[in-house]
Amino acid sequence: EGDVLCCMRRGLCIPTRAVCDAETIFALSSGHGRCGVAVVRVSGPASSMVLRNMAGLTQALPSPRTALLRRITDPQSKELLDRGLVLWFQGPHSFTGEDSAEFHIHGGPAVITAVLQALGSLEGVRPAEAGEFTRRAFHAGKLGLTEVEGLGDLIHAETEAQRRQALRQMDGELGRLYQDWGYRLKRCLAHVEAFIDFSEDELIEDGVLNQVDSSVRQLEAEIERHLKDERRGERLRSGVQVVIAGATNAGKSSLLNTLCQRPAAIVSPIAGTTRDIVETSLDIGGFPVLLSDTAGLRDSSDSVEREGVRRARQRVEQADLTLVVVDSTQLPPDPQLVPAFLQEHLSTVLPSPSPEAGMEAASDRVLLVLNKSDLVPEEQRERTEGELRESTGLPPACFLSCYTSTGLEDFLTVLQSRVKTLCGDPLSGAPSLTQARHRAHLQQSVQALIQYHQYRDQDLALAAEGVRLALTHLGRITGRVGAEEILDIIFRDFCIGK
Amino acid sequence: MLAQKLHLLRHNFLSFVSSRTGSDLTRRQYDVIVVGGGHAGTEAAAAAARLGAETLLITQKITTIGALSCNPSLGGVGKGQLVREVDALDGLCGRAGDWAGVHFSILNRSKGPAVWGPRAQLDRERYRQFIQSELLSTPRLTVLEGSVDELLVSQPNPEEPGHHRVTGIRLVDGSHPILSSSVVLTTGTFLSGSLFMGQTTSPGGRIGDVPSCAGLSYTLKETLGLRVGRLRTGTPPRIVKESVDLSLAQLQAPDKQPTPFSFLNTHTRCKPEEQLPCYLTHTTPGVETVVRESVHLNCHIQQDTKGPRYCPSIESRVLRFPGRRHQVWLEPEGLTSDLLYPQGLSMTMPPDLQLRLLREIPALHRAEIRTPGYGVQYDFVCPTQLTPSLQVKSTQGLFLAGQINGTTGYEEAAAQGLWAGVNAGRTALSLPPMALSRTQSYIGVLIDDLVGRGVTEPYRMFTSRAEFRTYLRPDNADLRLTPRGFEEVGCVTLRRYEKAVSVRDGLQEALMALQSVALSSTRWREKLGNISLSENKSTTLKCSIGSGLWLGHSDFQRHVPKPLLHCLGCVLRIVVLPCH
Repeated sequence: EGDVLCCMRRGLCIPTRAVCDAETIFALSSGHGRCGVAVVRVSGPASSMVLRNMAGLTQALPSPRTALLRRITDPQSKELLDRGLVLWFQGPHSFTGEDSAEFHIHGGPAVITAVLQALGSLEGVRPAEAGEFTRRAFHAGKLGLTEVEGLGDLIHAETEAQRRQALRQMDGELGRLYQDWGYRLKRCLAHVEAFIDFSEDELIEDGVLNQVDSSVRQLEAEIERHLKDERRGERLRSGVQVVIAGATNAGKSSLLNTLCQRPAAIVSPIAGTTRDIVETSLDIGGFPVLLSDTAGLRDSSDSVEREGVRRARQRVEQADLTLVVVDSTQLPPDPQLVPAFLQEHLSTVLPSPSPEAGMEAASDRVLLVLNKSDLVPEEQRERTEGELRESTGLPPACFLSCYTSTGLEDFLTVLQSRVKTLCGDPLSGAPSLTQARHRAHLQQSVQALIQYHQYRDQDLALAAEGVRLALTHLGRITGRVGAEEILDIIFRDFCIGK
Repeated sequence: MLAQKLHLLRHNFLSFVSSRTGSDLTRRQYDVIVVGGGHAGTEAAAAAARLGAETLLITQKITTIGALSCNPSLGGVGKGQLVREVDALDGLCGRAGDWAGVHFSILNRSKGPAVWGPRAQLDRERYRQFIQSELLSTPRLTVLEGSVDELLVSQPNPEEPGHHRVTGIRLVDGSHPILSSSVVLTTGTFLSGSLFMGQTTSPGGRIGDVPSCAGLSYTLKETLGLRVGRLRTGTPPRIVKESVDLSLAQLQAPDKQPTPFSFLNTHTRCKPEEQLPCYLTHTTPGVETVVRESVHLNCHIQQDTKGPRYCPSIESRVLRFPGRRHQVWLEPEGLTSDLLYPQGLSMTMPPDLQLRLLREIPALHRAEIRTPGYGVQYDFVCPTQLTPSLQVKSTQGLFLAGQINGTTGYEEAAAQGLWAGVNAGRTALSLPPMALSRTQSYIGVLIDDLVGRGVTEPYRMFTSRAEFRTYLRPDNADLRLTPRGFEEVGCVTLRRYEKAVSVRDGLQEALMALQSVALSSTRWREKLGNISLSENKSTTLKCSIGSGLWLGHSDFQRHVPKPLLHCLGCVLRIVVLPCH
């Protein structure tokens, strides 16, 4: 208490965290609601005291990381609260790096409340704030920043592929990639700094700067390449945006209902039934998909419908993948004319391609769904399919009947492979960028490196500032880099003698 | 001003030693007592006195006040920034450097004005004389020759944090105590110092001087319970100039036009043509052989006390980076000195081997040694026990500065000394302590690093330590610190403040005048030489206050646009920002 008073008198000179970390925190770590077993976690210096008081351990603590069945009692009233498992983790060998304990109790709300209240009644023990366990683990160096983010994603992962990506990130693979860049950037900076601080007195060759030039260029190229992954990792993390678009009454809402296997959108034979965007999330082959149904595209005098069409077009522009639904009974009866017809139709549905993207890229982002195939004679359908296989420049097309589910299997296979390509395989190749935050810092890092080249021959202090800035931005992902670390590299790599 | 200084020196130097010392000391109570007369102590005493505190400086030997114990130079990359900042706060070392310098150069001139390093080789005698005469002419400052035996402490003021309060000191001669509100300790390498040469060890902080008594060290460790560590440093042998074959070394000329350290000075005492050169030579494989043969005779090098990585002895350089050629600078010790200082050859082996080692270098093949090199090990107080005002957290009124805080270098010591003196004075005058931010000064970076991170090796300033390096330039130290030093801190005299304000206003005026001139880019290029400008028909310059990187261009001075004529002096501190 004396220390705290002393800090208060002196104002804010001592970071409050130092005071907080002396406290012991607890929280229900399993989910809320009725369940078989609930886990309550305790972390901090008083953890052993908590364990002794609550589990009636008067003598020795249980051996670390071993489950022990105990009667769990209220420390004040000695009333029996529950029987459950207790575990003891002696710091630093715990998640937070501090002394920790776990109570595995029965999951009824009354039991949980009683145990939490009993914990709160102990001196020096308080409920944890959101994310506090992880924050302590981070401060103790148990987790890197990217690992913390990976852990957050793992807890929120809903699909199998998301889980794999999060696990990979938590494993530190993304962290390792960024750390490697960080390390190389640190060396670049150390060598520039050595040249600035010591070249007047010491033998530091001009060649050092040329090496830095090429290292910086190489790093720039690698980060740029990483940034050009077309958002695969982020897409996997937050879901692939798939938009159903097309003319009115083509069966867009039926497709949505078929895919999500429930009547999520109202369907009717009346054109223009769907006016706003209907969204639903799906798990397609382990990948998260955010599916939206949009208003049918047509010119309308109804202002509400016009707004719906505007939103639909906007959604198509932002989509990762567009499913263009066509009523196959509207196709030209002569199969040879179908490709040209579809080409024409696509240009009315899709936004005009930007010059650099070209048609090729656009067709990767589109699937044609030829709906109502049950209303087309089988022979005509087969001939049309043949024509479509022959033609080039068109996105893949699938005949499908939402009414009979004919062709659904084939369509799902095509859809799944598209979604998988868009997300990338989370287990192969270089780890992907998973967070928009990382992207922003990496982009700024590359920008800063450009500053290095800009000032390299004019003002080395400003050029070094570019490398410092790049490292700061990377540090926002991997953790801060201090001046001492740079000096360590300088003195390891050079003989500084003056 | 320089002439006036000389006058003071001639007339008062001797009387200063006799009249102000020892027995006829009348006062027994001061605001501030400074212990130690090195770079930290002199700046501390002068700063406290400038602030208005009645100050006493106690030193073992008055004649060594302002002595340059190691290299005869001041400034450099990072260190030059510190000198400029100390000067901007009205400290001594910048003006002393201008008075004593015999070889001026701006290092890093090709690397951007933020990392320029003003540096000078000094005449040891002149430096000492300047500092001594300056202290003499400082009002409210008394100098006393003596050795401190004990620090007096009492119960703390309960209103303030801390376990003790300093009340004064007691001298070795056992006489009555001298009382004060604050004490600044700047004992350098003398705190439990021991000297090393070959296999012999003797107590002391500098060769030729008596060791400090153990009492002070005991008070700090036992009474105040301060955590103390041990560091080491060393100094090279001094070589007789006549015995050196300088034709075998490379001549290093000074800048043609010396740049003064001090913002008050327009020129240095040493005329451009009177400057002395330095010489550069290199070690040979023979040097490495001698080092290897001497290792078993060298107890300093075998100790595991932390020495600096950047100022290592020739022994540790050779052992850590074998098979390389290392640079050796031969520096003048002064205008009249017959000695050369071999920068880079600090060594602690036995004297006969030192001579053998030197003679392995071609230019030194007949070298004679005047005084051999030696090593020093000394106690330092872990500086994380200090506040940003350099006061010991546990002891009200006790301030530490210089090597006692684990730093190395004259400039680092001077910077801390000044700031400790400021705060010791403020404490004595019942003013709240002040801190300098690392965003605004290298002094702030230095102190923040010390008290926030502590040291594991002697701490030296590098520009890479400053996060805000591009702003903390040596050329703008006056604009950054002088107004604040006068208005808030109180350590800047009116004369300097007025000068800084007029410079600041002049710069603003020149900046506006310059920006009002619109010429075609072709015409600008005629005036400014090869400068990148946008190709508009008529364009004004984008400028900022900085070093005269562009406008210092001599062509410009010949074609100054008319509105600028009256502020030409200021224009040299304005920089045109290149367009990209």
